[in-house]
Amino acid sequence: MSRFNLALRLLWRDSRSGELTILIIALIIAVTSSTAIAIFSDRLQRTMSNQSAEFLAADLVISSPAPISTDWLTKAKQLNLAQASTAEFSSVLIEHDELLLAGIKAVSAYYPLRGFLKTTKEDYLTETITNGGPEQGTVWLEKRILSALKLKLGDPLTVGEKQLTITRIITYEPDKKGDFYSFSPRVMINLTDLQATGIIQPGSQVRYFFQFSGEVPALTEFKQWVKPQLNPSQRTLDIHEDRPELGSALNRADRYLGLSSILVILISGVAIAMATRRYTERHFNATALLRCLGCKQNEILWLYSSQFIVLGIVASALGCLLGWFAQEALFHLLKELLPQQIAKSGLLAISFGFIVGMVTLTGFALPPLLRLKHVSPLRVLRRELEPLPTSAWLIYGFSIGLIGLLIWKYTNDIKMTTAILVVGMLTLLVLGLLIYVLLILARQLLPSMSLPWRFGLQGLLKNSPASISQILAFSITLVAMVISFTVRTDLIDNWQKQLPDNAPNHFALNIFPNQQAAFKQELQEKNINESQFFPVVKGRLVEINNTPVQKFVTKDTQGENATNRELSLTWAKELPEDNKIVAGNWWISQQIGLVSIEKKLADNLKIKLGDLLTFTVGNQQMNATVTSIRELRWDTMKPNFYMVFSPGSLDNYPSTFITSFYLPETQKNILNTLIKKFPATTILEVDLILRQFKKILTQLTQAINYLLYFALMAGFTVLFAAVYATLDNRIYEGALMRTLGAKKSFLRKTHIIEFSALGLISGLLAVAVSEAIIYALYTRVLAIEYQPSLYLWAIIPFIGILFIGIAGCWGVRHILNKSPLLVLRDL
Amino acid sequence: MQTQVNQKSNDIIITEGLGKSVVTSEGILHILASIDLIIKSGESIAIIGESGSGKSTLISLLAGLDTPSYGSITLNGKSLTNMTEDGRATVRNALIGFVFQSFQLLPGLTALENVMLPLELSGDKNARIAATALLHRVGLSHRLSHTSKQLSGGEQQRVALARAFVTKPAILFADEPTGNLDSKTGKTIIDLLFELNLENKTTLILVTHDHNLASLCDRTIQLNAGLIV
Repeated sequence: MSRFNLALRLLWRDSRSGELTILIIALIIAVTSSTAIAIFSDRLQRTMSNQSAEFLAADLVISSPAPISTDWLTKAKQLNLAQASTAEFSSVLIEHDELLLAGIKAVSAYYPLRGFLKTTKEDYLTETITNGGPEQGTVWLEKRILSALKLKLGDPLTVGEKQLTITRIITYEPDKKGDFYSFSPRVMINLTDLQATGIIQPGSQVRYFFQFSGEVPALTEFKQWVKPQLNPSQRTLDIHEDRPELGSALNRADRYLGLSSILVILISGVAIAMATRRYTERHFNATALLRCLGCKQNEILWLYSSQFIVLGIVASALGCLLGWFAQEALFHLLKELLPQQIAKSGLLAISFGFIVGMVTLTGFALPPLLRLKHVSPLRVLRRELEPLPTSAWLIYGFSIGLIGLLIWKYTNDIKMTTAILVVGMLTLLVLGLLIYVLLILARQLLPSMSLPWRFGLQGLLKNSPASISQILAFSITLVAMVISFTVRTDLIDNWQKQLPDNAPNHFALNIFPNQQAAFKQELQEKNINESQFFPVVKGRLVEINNTPVQKFVTKDTQGENATNRELSLTWAKELPEDNKIVAGNWWISQQIGLVSIEKKLADNLKIKLGDLLTFTVGNQQMNATVTSIRELRWDTMKPNFYMVFSPGSLDNYPSTFITSFYLPETQKNILNTLIKKFPATTILEVDLILRQFKKILTQLTQAINYLLYFALMAGFTVLFAAVYATLDNRIYEGALMRTLGAKKSFLRKTHIIEFSALGLISGLLAVAVSEAIIYALYTRVLAIEYQPSLYLWAIIPFIGILFIGIAGCWGVRHILNKSPLLVLRDL
Repeated sequence: MQTQVNQKSNDIIITEGLGKSVVTSEGILHILASIDLIIKSGESIAIIGESGSGKSTLISLLAGLDTPSYGSITLNGKSLTNMTEDGRATVRNALIGFVFQSFQLLPGLTALENVMLPLELSGDKNARIAATALLHRVGLSHRLSHTSKQLSGGEQQRVALARAFVTKPAILFADEPTGNLDSKTGKTIIDLLFELNLENKTTLILVTHDHNLASLCDRTIQLNAGLIV
C-alpha cells in the first residue's frame, strides 16, 4: 500500500460512509452546469459563426439591398468563379383563411454553391440531400407552414400573385441566419418565379445575396476588386472575415446562461467549502495520529489533496457526462430558435467543464483543507487541541479570484467583470447583513416563545454564518427565477395593456406610390381607420458634419443599431401626431434638405441643431441639416421615424408608403382581400409578431431558468452541507433531549419550525429583492408600469417553506431514529 | 527496520531543566518544572501521578509531540529542543512507537493496513511481510483483513501494539494502555507489551495510574504538580 494507495483507501472509506456525498454532488452540479453551458456556447458559436463555406453556402457572398452591377458578375465570370444568388424578404401567406408571416427565399440555379439542402417528402426518415433549390413553379417549405396553413404536399400555395406547387419539406438550409427574420418559417422558391410574384418592386424591403465560389486566388482578386466599389449598404461575407454574427438575442442569452452557470458554481462552491470544513474537522484525529507516526506537514497535505484530486477527477468526469446530456436538453428547449443542424462541440469545450470542476474544488476546498496541515500531533493526547482556522483572506481571496476569472471568461471585459464582482460582493454583503439583523431580531423574540418554537429557531440562530449562507443561496436563486419569469410575462402583458383600445394592430409596408390611393380607398370602403400614410425611403446615415458616423458610435447602443442598418427615412409637411419638438423649430418654408431627428438617437450620436448629416440612398449621397429634435412615443403602434425630412428632400429616390390600422379579430378576413389585391404589400400582424416574440422570449427564459434549476439544486446542497456540519451536535442534543423525556414528535416539530423558518426568510427576502430589482428595471430601463405582485409575496415564501422545510427535515431524519442510549454511549 | 541506538552512550533520553508553562489570565501556570531525567536504553520506566500532575505533558515533550518552554531534551544523542515540527516527525518515525489508551487505529483501514502504515510512511518496501509477522506474533493472524469496527477492544489494542513495535522503535511510549479494557484483557495486553519489549530491547515509557502495573517496570517516576517527587 503506497501513500497514494493509502489516500485512495481513505477516500474510499470516506465516500462509502457518506462523508463526501454532499461535496461530490455539489461538484457534479457545478461541473454539469458549466459543461452544459460551455458545450452549448461552443456549439452555438461553431454553428453560427463556423468558418466553413457551407455556412455561407458559398466562399464569398455580397449582401446588398438591391441587385448588384452586372459588371461585377462579369468580372466574377472572367475569374472563373461559380455564381448563384438568393433574395430574401418577408411576406404574408394566406391559405384556407389562415395567415402566416413567412421568410421567403428565392434561389437561383446552382444554389447552394457550398453545402447542401436537406429535404423530405413526408417524414424525417426519408430525408434526402439535394444540391439545388426548387424547380420553377414549385415551392419548398418548412413543415410548420403546412400545419399553420392547413396544407399538404402537392397543394398549391400562392406567394404574392404566383401560384406554386408544394413539392418538398425543407429540413436543413445551410445559410440560415440567426437574426429575427430567420425565425419566421422558411418558404423557398425558384428565383425565376420571383418576378411573377409581383412582390419585388422598387423600394421593397428585400435583401439580395450574391454568392461566389472558386479558387482562393481568384476569390481574393475578386474581393479586392469589388470591395472599394461597395456602397455603405452592401457588405461582403467570407469565410475568413466578416463572419456572420450571432443573433443578438441568442448572443445575450448565451451571456446570461454563462453568468447563471457562475451562480451555480458559486452556490455549489459554498456547499463544497462547508462540506470540506466538516470533512476537515472530522479528520483532525486521524491526522494527529499520522503526524504522531511521523508524517510531515507536506505529506499530510499531499495525502488529503491527492484524495481530493481523485475525487475531483471522478466527480468532474461524471459532471461532464451529465453536462453533455444537459446541453442536449438545452438545445431541445431552444430548437425553434436555432438552426436545425448544430455543429459538434470541440474538445476544449468539453474539457472546460472538467477544468472548472478541478478549479472550483481547489478554490473552495483547498483553503479549509489546508487546516489539516496544521493539526498538532499532540492532539493524540489532548483532543481539545484544534488547529488555527485558515486565513479568511485566503478562503475568500481564492474563491473571489476564481469567480472573477469565470465572469471574465463569459464577458471578456475586465471592466464589466470588476463591476459584476464589486456589485455582487456588495449585494451579498448587504443581504448578509440584512439577514443577520433579521436573525438578531428573531433572537429577541425567543424568550416569549413556546418550547418547540424556541428550540426550532435556536437551530437557525446558533450557527448564524451557516444560516446566512443557506438563506443567501436560496434567495439569490429564487430572485433570479422570479425576475426572469416576471419580466417575461410583464414585458408582453404590459405592452399589450398600455395600448389604447383600437390602437392600430396591423402595419402595411411596401405600398407603392401608384397603389397608395387605391389602398387608402380600400380601407375606407371597409370602414377601417388608418393612421397617416408616410412615404419611406431606405437610407443609411454615414456622416455627421463630414465625420464618419462610426466615430460617434458606442457599442450596444441605439446609435450603433441605427447606424448599422438602413433607416426608414420619411418626409412630412406637418409634425406627425404624438411627436413633440424639444429643440429647434418645425419647418414652415418649403426649403429642402432639412431634417428633424428623434431625441434619444440625437443624444446618443451627440447630434445638435445645425449639424450636417450625410445619408446614402442606394448609390447616391445626400445631405441634410438638423433643424429640430423630436420626442416621440414608440409604443403608439403608428409609424414612427428617427429621421423626418422637409418635403421635397427625398423626391429623387424611389419610395413606398407605410401605414398602420386597427382591425378587430372578427374582421381578419379583410386581410385576405387586401393581400390578394395588393400582393406586393407586406402586412404585419402585430399580434402575430407579439406571439412570435413571446415565444422567443419564453424559450430564452426557459433556457435561463433551466440553468437556475441547477442553482436551486446547488442551494439544496448548501442546505444539506449545513445540516451535516451540525449533525453530530444535533444527534447529541436530540439524544439528550430524548433522555430527558422529549418525544419524537417534539423533535420533529422543532425541525419543521427550524427549516420552515429558513424557507420563509429565504422566500420573503427573495420577493423583496426581486420587487426592488423589478421596480428599478421597469421604471429606469424598460419604461413599463410597475405594479407590486402581491401573489409573489404569498407564493414564493410558501414554496420556500414547503421545499426547504421538507428537504431540511429529510436531512435530519436520522436524529429521530437514533437510540439515545447508543448515542450517549458512543460519546 | 532496526533503529541505530547511539553507541557512544547508553543514555537514550536526557532532559535538563525541562519545563512547560502557559500564560493564563491569572499569570504564568507551570505545568511541568525543572525535570532532569536520564533514561537508559532498554530501561522500562513508569510515570505515575494524579490527574493534572503533568504526566501527559511530560511524555508529549519526551516524544517530541510538543515543545518545552525551557530546558532541553536529547533523544538518542539528538537534541529535540531546536528541531522543527517536521524534524521531530522524522525522529518520531525513526525512533518512537506509541500505544494509546483509546487504541487510535485508523477506522477505514484493516488491521494489516494499520500495522503497515508507519513502515510505509518511512518507505519500507517489506511493510506487508513485517506487519503480517507481527500480527501473527500478537495472535491476530486470522484478523488481518478486519477493520477496527470488526475487532474487540482487546484485539484493537493488540493491533496497536503490533503497529507500535513493527518499526522496532528504540523507545515506546504507552499512555494508559489498559485504561479502556477490562482487567482480564488488560492483563493479557500488558503481558504482551512486556514480552515484545523484552524481545525488541525497547526502552519503555509507560504512563499509568496503576501502581501494580508500574511495579512491573525497572523504575518509577512519580509526578506531583509538575515536579518529580
